[in-house]
Amino acid sequence: MPGDQELFDAVLQADRDRVIAAVRAGVDGGTPVSSLLMDCMVPAMREIGDRFAAGELFIPEMLFAARAMQAGLDIVEPLLGDSDHGSLGRVAVGTVKGDMHDIGKNLVVMMLKGGGYRVTDLGVDCSLETYEAAVAEGSTVLCCSALLTSTMTYMKQVVGRFQKDPAVKVIVGGAPVTRAFAEDIGADGFAEHASEATRVVSACLAGSAPAR
Amino acid sequence: MSGEGDGAMERLYAERLARYTTAMRNGRPDMVPIRPFVAEFTARHAGFTCQEVTHDYDKAFEAARRCAVDFDWDAVVSNMVYVWTGLTQAMGLRYYGVPGIDVPPDVGFQYLEPGDDGAFMRADEYDELIADPTAFLYNVWLPRVSSEVMQPGEASSYRGNLALVKGAMAMMQYFGAFGTQNARLRCESGTVSAIAGIFKAPFDILADKLRGYVGLCMDMCEQPSKVLEACEALMPHLYHVAKTTADPLQQVPIGYWMHRGCVPFVSPDQFASHYWPTVRPIIEELWRHGHQTLFYAEGDWKHHLESFRELPDQSIVYHVDQADVFDVHERLGDKFCLSGGIPNFLLAHRPASEVRDFCKKVIDVVAADGGYIMDASAIMQHDTRGENLAAMTECTREYGVYSGGTSSPPATPIVAEGSLSAHGGSATRPGQCVEWAKKAASLPVLEGDADLVEEVWNNIDSLGNVFIWQWLLSF
Repeated sequence: MPGDQELFDAVLQADRDRVIAAVRAGVDGGTPVSSLLMDCMVPAMREIGDRFAAGELFIPEMLFAARAMQAGLDIVEPLLGDSDHGSLGRVAVGTVKGDMHDIGKNLVVMMLKGGGYRVTDLGVDCSLETYEAAVAEGSTVLCCSALLTSTMTYMKQVVGRFQKDPAVKVIVGGAPVTRAFAEDIGADGFAEHASEATRVVSACLAGSAPAR
Repeated sequence: MSGEGDGAMERLYAERLARYTTAMRNGRPDMVPIRPFVAEFTARHAGFTCQEVTHDYDKAFEAARRCAVDFDWDAVVSNMVYVWTGLTQAMGLRYYGVPGIDVPPDVGFQYLEPGDDGAFMRADEYDELIADPTAFLYNVWLPRVSSEVMQPGEASSYRGNLALVKGAMAMMQYFGAFGTQNARLRCESGTVSAIAGIFKAPFDILADKLRGYVGLCMDMCEQPSKVLEACEALMPHLYHVAKTTADPLQQVPIGYWMHRGCVPFVSPDQFASHYWPTVRPIIEELWRHGHQTLFYAEGDWKHHLESFRELPDQSIVYHVDQADVFDVHERLGDKFCLSGGIPNFLLAHRPASEVRDFCKKVIDVVAADGGYIMDASAIMQHDTRGENLAAMTECTREYGVYSGGTSSPPATPIVAEGSLSAHGGSATRPGQCVEWAKKAASLPVLEGDADLVEEVWNNIDSLGNVFIWQWLLSF
């Protein structure tokens, strides 16, 4: 790994103080901030995602690591140029119309930020207009969350709205949402857990969407 | 209604009660009982909006009774749209999205979990909670969850005083109405009220109502011993609520609403160190007192079924939500009755023929030897189709008949007082708010019947305890 091993380890071990110290040391030592982010912090969060997928880590540890990552991002982000931070893509995340639940959505936001994406948190109760505005502002991936079977059907409207726009991908997830439902409504991707969101977004942007 | 009609309805009730309780004790009744957890579906069926049944509990009760009359169900919950906004509005509760106010009129009410920075209990307040949970709830928690109630030390206000009076009286009114509702279900449709009482795990209470899930996750990494102490401090109080709200006849189970104690919301180690050790003793003690607990296992608890097997045979009814009902049957079916497992997606979005096919398979496999209650996976909201629920009901009646089944009243376990009846070190005992000793110290020397004075004090004081713990658990 070309980056700072200490920073990578600190994120992996969810040690916020060490992350802050390592980022500051890197910045002071002249390491490009884009390298700190893309070569150290993002790979560490990917490793955490991989460990979650393998059943070695669980949501509390993931959240703890994401918080450590965020502490580093708080230092790095103001120093990044647009091209540095937006290089992976812009993603908008929201809970669909009629649904006020946000825990799952918040986890996805944290994981995607940790994955190096520029993330817009659209909040809850998101209408088509909210998603349209996010696309107008540059998001190319829309993540839709729902907790209720009675609200998840709104995802079909979001998918339908952007189905003819190849530049926009729609990913769905949430407790009642299944892969079969995602396929049924024609979503571009489905994430069973928040930790999968980064992988699914990456696959969508690479053109190998798992759910369509 | 004629006397003969009353008799027929009472016989139907007795048949259904025997069928339901026999299955719950993992026995083989005359046929598979049906006990759908219908919430906002009742509104759809009765022609009400979600707003109407949430704001007006008479309409919610009416909708539940209408379903009980129109469908051949053995048991229903008296009002699964449990959060009456008359109550929550009286107190100005901050954590509900209310139909017609915060969400559209035809969307069900929703719990709004505060963010990491807006939790109703701060990370440095564990010691205060542990020392006296009841006092903490009144002094710290209630003023934070209510837009009306003042913090201790703040000037009292007209609105704050009103909120407490209205909240308490509304709670009494609402709880009192359930007695009539249950009696009407019994005499108008011969339907059993499915559950009585409420329990939640200490860990879930911390996550749901105090620290918030994200906050609790951080605490599990930074101060896990404090979290465990808090869970242990909550145990005797939550046990007290469960036991005192349970069915005194010990026929129907206590509802245990399980939220975020399963993998991946916690790690297997955290389940083993925090969640399960502070739940298992309560379930066992309730069972020693003759009370079954209904595990409403929201989500998928497949990683923890072996832990649940540690419980005494028949002590719980295990409700299957997103887990594979066939897998759960293989792993728990010899010890406990199961319920649920019919996917809500099927009931809301697929043709009735698919519902019938799935129900038939569940009856053939899961219900084959008894110990199964037909129901959807999750509580049914207004997206459930009536024709699909009818298909589930008809299929169960058609295929779910046992030959040689018996229905006998459940045996009552031996009652034995255990350690959870003690107060667990809290400054205030479970069930009380201000100890008699403190009150007595402020009184002159009593003349006449001092025991009577103490008894009346304790009885009325316990209402203050009911009030605050019901807010925490039920609303």
